[in-house]
Parts: sequence; C-alpha cells; structure tokens
Amino acid sequence: MKTISKLPLLLAAFAFTFTSCESSDDKNEGASGETGKSKYIITVSTGATGVADYLLTADDVTKGSITTAGNGLEQDGTYRYYLSTQNKFFSFLYGQGNPGAVTTYSLTANGDLTKTSNFQAETVQVFAPVNKDIVMVKVPRSGASISYMYKVDAEQSVLTGTVSQDTRLLIGNKNPDLAERAHFTWATQVGDKVFMPYMKINGIAPDTFGTRHADSTWVAVYSYPDLKLEKVIKDDRTSYLGAYFTNGLFQDEKGDAYGFSGAIGTANGVVASTKPSAVVKIAKGTTEFDKSYFFNVQEKSGGYKISSTSYISNGKFLLLMYGTPGTNSGTVRLAVADVYNQTFKWVIGMPALLSNATTRYNITTEDGNSAVLGINTPDGNWIYTINGTTAVATQGMKVEGGQITAIQKLKY
Amino acid sequence: MSTPKILFFISFFFFSFLSFSQQNQGVTVTGQVVEKSGQTVPFATVVLEKTDLSIISDENGKFIFKNVKPGKHTIKVSAIGFSGFKKSIEVSGTSVNIPVQLDSELQELENVSVIGRSAVDKINKQAYNVTAVDAKKLHNSTLDLAHALDRVSGVRFREAGGVGSRSELSINGFSGNQIKIFIDGVPMDNFGSSFQINNIPINLADRVEVYKGVVPIWLGGDALGGAVNIVTNNKPRTYVDASYSFGSFNTFKTAINAGYTSKSGFTTEINAFQNYSDNNYWVNVETNDLETGKYYPETRVRRFHDNYQNETVIFNIGITGKKYADKLMIGFTAGQNKADIQTGARMVSVFGERYRRGNTLMPTLKYQVKDLFTKGLNIDVTGNFNFGYEQTVDTVNRRYNWFGQYTQNAGPGGEAGRSLYKFKNNNGIATFNATYAIGEHHSLLINNTFNTFDRKGSDELYPESVTYQQPEKLQKNILAAGYKFDYNEKWSTSLFLKNYDLNTTLTRSYNPSGNWGDVAYMELNNKTSSLGYGGASSYYLKQNLQVKASYEKTYRLPTPNEIFGDPNDNLQGNNGLKPESSNNINLGFSYQTSFNDVNALTFDVNGIYRNATDFIRTEFNNNQNKTVTVNQGSVKTKGIDGEIRYSYKKRFTSGLNMTYQDIRNMTKYEPEQNYVSYYYKDRVPNIPYLFGNLDGTVFFNDVFKKGNNLSVGYNLLYVHAYYLYWPSRGGSNGKHDIPTQLKHDLNLVYTMADGKYNIALECQNLLDNELVDNFSLQKPSRAFYLKFRYFFNKSNK
Repeated sequence: MKTISKLPLLLAAFAFTFTSCESSDDKNEGASGETGKSKYIITVSTGATGVADYLLTADDVTKGSITTAGNGLEQDGTYRYYLSTQNKFFSFLYGQGNPGAVTTYSLTANGDLTKTSNFQAETVQVFAPVNKDIVMVKVPRSGASISYMYKVDAEQSVLTGTVSQDTRLLIGNKNPDLAERAHFTWATQVGDKVFMPYMKINGIAPDTFGTRHADSTWVAVYSYPDLKLEKVIKDDRTSYLGAYFTNGLFQDEKGDAYGFSGAIGTANGVVASTKPSAVVKIAKGTTEFDKSYFFNVQEKSGGYKISSTSYISNGKFLLLMYGTPGTNSGTVRLAVADVYNQTFKWVIGMPALLSNATTRYNITTEDGNSAVLGINTPDGNWIYTINGTTAVATQGMKVEGGQITAIQKLKY
Repeated sequence: MSTPKILFFISFFFFSFLSFSQQNQGVTVTGQVVEKSGQTVPFATVVLEKTDLSIISDENGKFIFKNVKPGKHTIKVSAIGFSGFKKSIEVSGTSVNIPVQLDSELQELENVSVIGRSAVDKINKQAYNVTAVDAKKLHNSTLDLAHALDRVSGVRFREAGGVGSRSELSINGFSGNQIKIFIDGVPMDNFGSSFQINNIPINLADRVEVYKGVVPIWLGGDALGGAVNIVTNNKPRTYVDASYSFGSFNTFKTAINAGYTSKSGFTTEINAFQNYSDNNYWVNVETNDLETGKYYPETRVRRFHDNYQNETVIFNIGITGKKYADKLMIGFTAGQNKADIQTGARMVSVFGERYRRGNTLMPTLKYQVKDLFTKGLNIDVTGNFNFGYEQTVDTVNRRYNWFGQYTQNAGPGGEAGRSLYKFKNNNGIATFNATYAIGEHHSLLINNTFNTFDRKGSDELYPESVTYQQPEKLQKNILAAGYKFDYNEKWSTSLFLKNYDLNTTLTRSYNPSGNWGDVAYMELNNKTSSLGYGGASSYYLKQNLQVKASYEKTYRLPTPNEIFGDPNDNLQGNNGLKPESSNNINLGFSYQTSFNDVNALTFDVNGIYRNATDFIRTEFNNNQNKTVTVNQGSVKTKGIDGEIRYSYKKRFTSGLNMTYQDIRNMTKYEPEQNYVSYYYKDRVPNIPYLFGNLDGTVFFNDVFKKGNNLSVGYNLLYVHAYYLYWPSRGGSNGKHDIPTQLKHDLNLVYTMADGKYNIALECQNLLDNELVDNFSLQKPSRAFYLKFRYFFNKSNK
C-alpha cells in the first residue's frame, strides 16, 4: 500500500497558500461584482429519490414564475446544503459517512452560474463563514466522540487545517462508560472568535438526541484561526441555542450576539425543557451571557416555540414557530421579532397552510428591511418577501417543478 | 386451493388418465429427425397414421414409439420451417429404426444460408420471439456469456467494471430480474456469485437462447421482459474442450469441459473454470488531494483495488438413454470467489481495503424421462440447493483517494460501513415439467417452479445485533399450464395460464419512541397470488417470411435480494417492493432471401409494446452509496429492434442490429401528491434507449495448411448517450449524462486440424475510448487477450 509522504505535501500546501494569499487580488477569475448587478439563486428539489436540487437563477424574484422543466443547473449527488460567502455559492454534499464533495459556484461576467471548483470533504453537520474561510464541523452523535473541525479557504476552495475536539471531554465527561457528549448545533463568528452553541445529548441509542439537561444553554468559545477552545459559557434561563443542523446564534451590526432557543430539549421523544423559548444576549467584546437581557419569546407569542431563525438586519429576525403551543410539533408559522425592543409579530398575508419554508437558507433585501424566502404549500410554491418591521408578507415569483430549498444571491 | 394441491391434483389426473392406455406388447419404433445437412431437428411432430400414436421429438430430434403393432404403417413427420415427410414402413421384429430426413422449406437458401444461422435456426423458428446465439461460433473468443449476449439485438449487458464485476442484462428496456437467466431450463437465481453469466466462459454453452417478451412456460418462473436460456451440449458424446487465455490487466482464464458417455449410458461430465484479473485498467476520474481536499479534474489513473478471482467446478454423474430415465444426473457445483471492491455505487467513493467473497456449494439433480406410463408423456424434474455463503469485509478505517493514498482514521471503523457480515441465503429451486402430445396437432404442458430462500446472517463485529436476527424468508411458486396447437407446418399457436404465488416473511423496523436511533421490529407475513395468461402464434406467410405475435398479462415477483438487499453488490433492500405486472405485446417478422446463389440476406424486425404497473427499476438510494429497487407506478414501453445479416458464400459475413426503445414514465400522480408528477411522460433515466452492433468476419480457408482456417472479425458496439437523472429537469447545459459510446473490438482466430487446436488474439476497445455504464461507472480501457483452445469431440452415434 502506498502511503502519502506528508511533509513535502504539507510544505507545498503551505507554500501554495502563502503565495496565493499574496496574489489573491489578481487571481479572482470571473466573478466579483464588477457589473454591480446581482442574481438570485433558487435551489429546487424535485423530490425524486437520489437526485439533488436544481439550481435556478433569476434577476428578480418579486414577480413571474420559474420552473425546473428544461431549466437550471443539475447537481450531482443527493442531499445538498448551501452557504454563500466571498461572493461564492457553496453546495455541500451530505453523504452520511461517505466523503462529500463541496462544489463551489460563482457568476460569470454574463451572470451565468458556473461551477468553479470541487473539493472533497467529510460529511459535516455544521458549516459557517469565518473571516474569508468556512469552518465545517463533523459532529458524531454516537460512537466515537471526536468531532473534527475543518477550515476551508473559501477563496481557493481547499482545506487548510483540521482540529479535533473530544465532545465528551468538552462537557467534562471522563467516565468511559458514559456516552453523554456535546453536540454542536452550529458555529457563528462573533468578533474574532468562533462561538459554537451545543446541546448535551445522551449519545447512545435508543434516546441518542435525548438529554438530561434540557434547561441550560452552552456556548463553546474558540479562538480563530487556531480553533483552540478558550472557554465554555453557560446560562440557565432557557435551553440550548439552535437545533441539530440549525443556527441559533447571530451577531448584529453593532457586534452583539443574540442566541435563540426553542427550548425543545427532549427526553424519550418528549419536550423536557421547562424553561421558555427565548432570546439571550452576549454583549460585544464579552464572553459571558448578558444577565440583564432576556426576551421571552414563548410568552410574547402566546406559548409558541421557535423552530428556526434567520437574521434580517438591525435587530430584526424572522422566526419559524412550531404550530402547537408549548411543543415542538404542529404546522409551522412565520413571525418576525425585534430583539432590541423585544416585540413579536405573526407574519400576515401568508398562505393558510405551509408545508415548509426556507428559513435556514434565505437572504435579506438590499435595503435591509425584509427577508426573502421560499414558501412551499400544498397548493404551490412561491418566493415571499417579508417585511421585518410590519410583518407583512408579499407574494413574489412562483416556483414550479419542485419545492424551494434555498434562496441565495451573488453579485457579478 | 394452494399451489401444491393444484399441482398434485393435476398430476394425479394426468397420470391416472394416461396409465389407462398402457399396453405391454408390440414393436419399438425409434428414429431421429435430421435435416439434409445432418443437423438434428428438435420438437418435430411424429405420427403413425391410423393409430393413436404421436409424439414430439426431443431436443436431439429423437423419438421412440413403444408397443407398435407389427405390420405396415405410414409415418408422418412435420416441423415448422420444413416440408412434410411421409413414408410407409414395415414394422416387424422387436425394434425398428427409421431415419427421417426433412427438407428445409427454404430450398433456395440451401446452398447459401447465412453463416451463423444454421444450427440455431430451429430455435428461431419457434412461435416466441427468440434469438438463438450459436455459442460454438464464439468458443475461440475470450468472451464470457454476458459479453456474448451483448451482441444480440435488443440486448444490453451492463456492468460495473472489469472481470467479475456486478452485471445486469437488459432486454428491450427490461432489466435486472425482469430478465430471468436459465441454464438448461433451470433458473440461475440462487447460484451464488461464483457461478454467474459474468464469469461463466462461453465454452460451457452450446447455444444461448434469448427470448424477448413472452417466455415459453417450459422455462418456468416469472420472467417478465424476457429470458436467457443457456443450453449446454447434452448430447451423449465424449469430448474435451480445454482453453487458456491471458491478457491485459494480468487477466487469465482457464476452462476445461470434458464429458464421457459409455455405450451402456453411463455419463459423466466435468466443467471447471477459473478467472483471475487485477482489473487495474485505466480510468479517468476526479481525484482529491488528501491534505487539501482539492479535486484534480480528469486524472488518468489505474484502478488499484479491484482484484478478482474465482474458481468453479461443476461435476455431474449419471446415466442416459435408459427406459426409466433418458437422463438421470446427480451433480455438484462448487465454486468460490473473492473480489476487491474498488468503488461504491459512484466512482467518487473509492475504497482500498474493502472486499467481498463468497462460495457456491450446490448439489443438483436432473431427471428426464420420455414416454412415462404412456407414449408422448415426457417428464423433466430438476432440483438444487445452494449452501454457499457471501460476505463483505470492511474493517479498515481509512479514506482512500484515486492515487491509492489514504488517511488513517483513529479507532475502529470501515470505509463504507464497518462490516464482517456473512450470510447464507439457503436458496433452493425445484422445477417440474411435463409435456404430453395428443395426436398430431395438440400438446399439453405443465410447469411448476418452486423457489425457497431463507437468509441467515451474522456479523462477528456485532454479535448481539438484532438487525441480523430478523427473519428474511421468501418462497415463490409459479405454476403454469399450456396448450400448443400446430395446425400445420406453417402455423403454430401456444396458449397458457400462469399462477404466481409469493410468500415473504420479514420484519419491518420502526421507531417506537420517535427518538433518533431507537428501533423495534414488527413481523410481516405477505402472501400474494396473481394469475397471468397469454398466447403466442407464428405463421409462415411465405416460405421465407415468418410473422410472430404474442400477448401476455404477466407478473414479475421481487427477488430476495431486491427485498432484503445484497451488501456484496451495494444493493439496498426494499421490503415494500411490490410485484410488477405488465401487459406485453410483441410482433415480429423475419425474412430470408438470396441472390446469385452466393449472396444471402436475412432480416428480422421485432416490435414491442408494454404497459407495466409498478415497474421495478433501480435507482440510487438517498445517499448514492448504494442502489435500490423501487416501483414506478406506470411505465409504457414502445420499442423496435431489427437485424440485417449478409453472407457471401462461406467467405464473409456481416450484420447490423439496432434497438430503439421508448420507455416512458406514465405515472401521472405520485402517491400522496395531488399535482401532476414532474416526471410524467418523461423517459425513464439511466436506461440506454438507442444502441446497436455492427460486425463483420472474413474467413480464409486452408491457410498455410489444408484444414487450417483463419478468420478476422470486427465488432462495433454503439450506445447512444442517455441521462443519469430524469431528462426533463434542469437545463441541457451541465446535465449529467452517460455519453455516447463506441467500442471497437478486433479478433483473429486461427484454427488447426479442423478445429482441434485454436489460437485467438483479441483486442477489446481498440481505440481506448472511455466507456461508461449505468450509474456512470467506467469500464475497461484497451485490452489484449490471447486464447489457446483444444477441442476434441466424438459423437456416440
């Protein structure tokens, strides 16, 4: 068997990274917003087994219609997840244990979406932009408890480093017979650090994602670019932030971070959190929860819990709420919240019944006032614009030939 | 009434009725029907006029009448494609032998028949849409059976890689298990990975019959789209056929077939073969740098973990030509194989340690008797049981790239799922076939095929796993009854009824609490019973123009591997798979002509129409690491395939065949969707729909020495591009497809001493084109093979 001789390659990789840093300005091929125009990328799942989303592009999503019939870029693989950073669109393959390709797309000067690179990574559960990089985290839910954090140079689309973290040791579990471990929900750059909220899970079947600690909030604070664990901060007013594969921590324009908890920690399939679904704050420059701030969303909404969250701007957030009060179930509903004034409004002007909405992958309008997202209903699928202040939803483009899974935007 | 009961009832009725007419005196009249060239004519109708004696000749053209009254008789023999034969005979003494020679109706072609069509023509003349490949013509090539079939019109052989790789036949757009493969009429379903068409050398076969569409019921089972019957040479004879070939990618293959039949009827046969290959052929791939993950596009690398080897011996011993048994053979098939697994279902998953292995340990029984209890009643019984195992070994926790480099991960793990899972399918098949000719024009036929499967598996890595303790059992029984009416030499019709019973026992896992990873099992016992029917008819419009038509309402039952999965083949089980049903119509024409006494031409055209419900097709599973079989609600197929073949004397032959099939998804509403399916009327993806072959061979006689012949042959395979995913979705730019493929093969065969010694040189994929197959897996690059063969044959009569 051939094994790789690591040193020369490492040196080569290092030299390559080094030189490319210096010359990165003139190495930007094609896409970098020179025309001042932009294009929406709408990803659509046709629902066929074993086939990934189609990538459609549009100049305007406020009107008209678009379809996957004879249109759109066909991706390889099956499950795909998305991230836009550095004016590039990254499509992550979720391969369940198999290596997954990460495909990078950008717009040409003509506004055509083109594949610019492809690199191999492991299947990960967390991916977030940090500086000009992407941090990806593979989080084991059971078995071995080593979580691998990969740094990807978003400009070059290459892996630049790997750091491991034992998720059992992270929560101080030194008992070798106990599988209980941390499970990172997501990663968020706050200042020059990376904050990774986590939930404590049993880590063993049958109640793998169940927890004995449904009433606490944890955030692991890592330095960057070293990804060295600096500290773990804890709060007891609500439950964990975000959810599996779901971001629950956002930094606003002022540098403060707001964490959203659905308070939906479970034990044996039943919600075990006794604390309310709420928003907590980590003030700029600190690595402690702001004890003076607590936004009780569950109380303000009339008992509903947060399912997922996305940031619009200036303290305004779009929330996807579980439809049955006090539970993590029921037909989802949309709401907007202002974390500065602690106000909560149900979105108006929406179809009565939602199948789902792209609350994980959406964008904000240029003026920063509204969120643009995909709404899938039993009667059809549309792109909606939701005003973060008035909570009014406006129907836009109709999407045919599949369900909308993400909306992103690139410049060219 | 359950199937065994019905069977018992029918047999009882049959035998009690027939035994009535038994007498024990008179003369035995025997004979053999041959055509002018000396070739035997099977299934001819032989009648003694003014008696109630009539019979169908066996596959060697032989017939036997017992208890014939002494005196003058008139014997009348008819067979499709031949002019009638009538002769007065004098019956006296204890036995009389009557040689019968039939004249071909195609008199004009007698001297200029198309090369390659003589011996197998008889099969082609059945009412069914059938093409017979004369395997003897290919005995000097290094082809395995599967690759020989790839040259038949309407047939595509698809494979995952090189020697021994996972393979699948498709006939007219039906593929996988919609096509049943038989060896001498016995289904090969349970033969294990050591004995499959992708490793059986062509020399084992005498001819290969390819049935498109309706399959005659004497080939039992639930074939839906067609069937392949591999016919071995079972004429009593003494022979040795030994060959050895070697070539590119460190490939070497050996095959020895030998048989001996004594005058007393004692028969013994041995078939042994061995295949070995490194399969380290070149592929063009995207490969990643281990450190950076960066993919290098279009890298040409050798496969590095694809070693395949298998050895199989089939031994038969028994007697032939006895009163109580025309053939009684007890046999044993023993084989083993080991194959490295280079990739997952897609070439992006590269493995460097994972492998599979398995063996076949299968006792077999064959019993044939003619004129049991009464004249014209022929019984054929076969049985086998495979005690072999299969195993996938994946215990090395590494991540490989296409350069063969790897990163070692800490702790226990595997490349695609840690496994030492080993299982036995305990799979057995029994067939029963009875034919009875009533008079000159009518014959009856009953066939029953029973299949049992009881998988038992365990994994020493997970000794307590409850998953492996779940029952995986399946029994199916297919009972068919048929009636054949031969109005005259020109017109023949068959009608049949088939009953399909399927009984599966399995457990379905469910999540009792809703928590991730929680699992419980409930046992499910499914029984289905379905009735199919159909008919086939053929008619000679002119002496050299035949038309064939058939219709059937048929079912295709899921196979054990489709329901329970096959980890060795990256196949995921689907325990919700339903039987597929289909209405099939076939129409075929065949025309033969010649001119100037030196040029011969044949034309064959076949059209099919199929309307399938719950069409079973293969697609990627959700992670694309395996494939899975699923039901597609409604699929319609319209297809046409044709072949033109030309011969100039015995010096040159050339043929062209093309197949076009339009396989459309007609499922308007998918389950639980209230809108028109996005794929409604779409062509079903990942199935080739336009393909063909062009071949030519030049023969040189008496090269260097009298009796030594040289032939130079060329074969071109063409497969039109087709889409990997549903065609209607996405823009044409960047859509994933399997591009058009052209494969050029050249061969040179030199035979010495009238075929006793043979040397063949072959070049496959001459232009080194990139050949890709279903699910975009690459096939071998250019390869050269050299084959030596020794053949000795002494017929017993």
